[in-house]
Amino acid sequence: MTATLERSTPDPRTGPPALDVRGVSKVFGSGTDAVVALDGVDLSVAPGEFVCLLGASGCGKSTLLNLVAGLDRPTSGTVETSAARPAVMFQEAALLPWLDAGRNVELPLRLAGIGRSARRERAHELLALVRLEGQADKRPHELSGGMRQRVALARALAAATGLGEGGTTRHEPGVLLMDEPFGALDAITRDVLQAELLRVWEATGTTVLFVTHDVRESVRLAERVVLLSSRPGRVVREWATASDSDPEELHGDITGELREVISAHAR
Amino acid sequence: MPADTTTDEQRPGTPDDAADVGRGLDALDTPTEQRTPLWKRFLTGVVPPIVAVVLFVVVWQILWASAIWPEFKLPSPQAVFGQIGTQLADGQALSIIWTSISRAVLGFLLAVVIATPIGLLVATVPLVRSAIGPILTGLQSLPSVAWVPAAVLWFGLNDQTIYFVVLMGAVPSIANGLVSGIDQVPPLLPRVGFAMGASRSQSARLIMLPAALPGFLGGLKQGWAFAWRSLMAAEIIATSPSLGFGLGAYLNQGQSLSDMSSVMAAILLILVVGIGVELIFFRPAELRVLRARGLATGP
Repeated sequence: MTATLERSTPDPRTGPPALDVRGVSKVFGSGTDAVVALDGVDLSVAPGEFVCLLGASGCGKSTLLNLVAGLDRPTSGTVETSAARPAVMFQEAALLPWLDAGRNVELPLRLAGIGRSARRERAHELLALVRLEGQADKRPHELSGGMRQRVALARALAAATGLGEGGTTRHEPGVLLMDEPFGALDAITRDVLQAELLRVWEATGTTVLFVTHDVRESVRLAERVVLLSSRPGRVVREWATASDSDPEELHGDITGELREVISAHAR
Repeated sequence: MPADTTTDEQRPGTPDDAADVGRGLDALDTPTEQRTPLWKRFLTGVVPPIVAVVLFVVVWQILWASAIWPEFKLPSPQAVFGQIGTQLADGQALSIIWTSISRAVLGFLLAVVIATPIGLLVATVPLVRSAIGPILTGLQSLPSVAWVPAAVLWFGLNDQTIYFVVLMGAVPSIANGLVSGIDQVPPLLPRVGFAMGASRSQSARLIMLPAALPGFLGGLKQGWAFAWRSLMAAEIIATSPSLGFGLGAYLNQGQSLSDMSSVMAAILLILVVGIGVELIFFRPAELRVLRARGLATGP
């Protein structure tokens, strides 16, 4: 049933990583109140790869995502991305309520100074990609939670890929950062959106770094699952969800390790 | 085809199946907008205030007819409406109303021009906020009529005095409305804007200002109310032939002539203009903005 089984083996990735995190630490506050959110995290994501960052609350997975997104600066270490600006998707769709769906998707292109007709065409293309064709003139409040999140996905794709292949600029598959984007949705909608995300990922070849605390979600979506420990956040272990591994076994394996990481805080 | 194998289309979990489930969910989860029919909105929105006004006039008529108070304290509704009627008939009412409205509108527009940059500064520069934020809020609770004596001494009995008082009434409300509008923007929106590569000016123009619009409109509405009542206070206290003859002066004249029906006619006209501007300009603008964001409540 899981999409992992249906996925064709990806091409061997070559070239420089899309995303390279080296020795990154992040400390909030100072002195005795200082909280070490991240401690010496190394993470490298190949172009087109789908990586899930998994961890319990307080493991700094969102902090790491913010650092990669450029919304925050690391205390030490370096973050390098191939894309000039990775696109971010949050738990809330965070659409601008006064703009219709189409204009929300157009916004990153508008910010990049792209002309109206070109960006409108691209917005329609991306809305069709997330199966929202014909909904461009709906306002966010007229859409369901799942549809809003798909508009947000289309907008993030617009930010990550610009005008895409049809544009005059060089085609960039882009980098997509997702911070528990389906966390606020009901189970059925989440299931559908996970399938949609995989479809869109396969169609666009975008690099995805996906933060979640849901083991099942990470096993279903990612090619590689990276487990972070909590306070301070460190990379504990990585799993490759190759197409021949049994997802149930992998799920049990990762869950066991995650429980261990969490119960270490009880002592 | 052997019976024990199913085709891709029939197996659950295939892409086509997922697409159908997705479309079904969209159809089920899409919020349905219920439009109340026009007659119902008329019945719930327009009829009750009319009934209330009619009842008020009836009670007034009864009180007048029972002759508890002498005529010079409580004139009949007929006398008051007749007063307004004759003033309207000879064109004097229009000139009086126009004098006041033109002042209020000009003063209000001036207040918007002054208050907007102040509000932007207070909302975005922490030092400015801690310096003048509390003063701005405090000024809102200071009745602007308190500025009339000072203004008369500073500027004399002329239009500057009137406009000064109007500005002192309207500017704090408008600036505070803008500040609270900007404060209420969900912090995620500017973050999203930054993540999409918005520069500071783009973020202000395309995200912060539109997001703050509902609060700003609320401030404008309150600013208009304050401008109008400040103007009336100024016109009532500062009367002089050089100041023209507005609604406040008309009210003041009624008092000095002990002409109760003039006084009540003036009060009614002041009320009608205040409510009218709100109903014609601010209410529709506010409804439009809130509707577009799915925030409008009620009819």
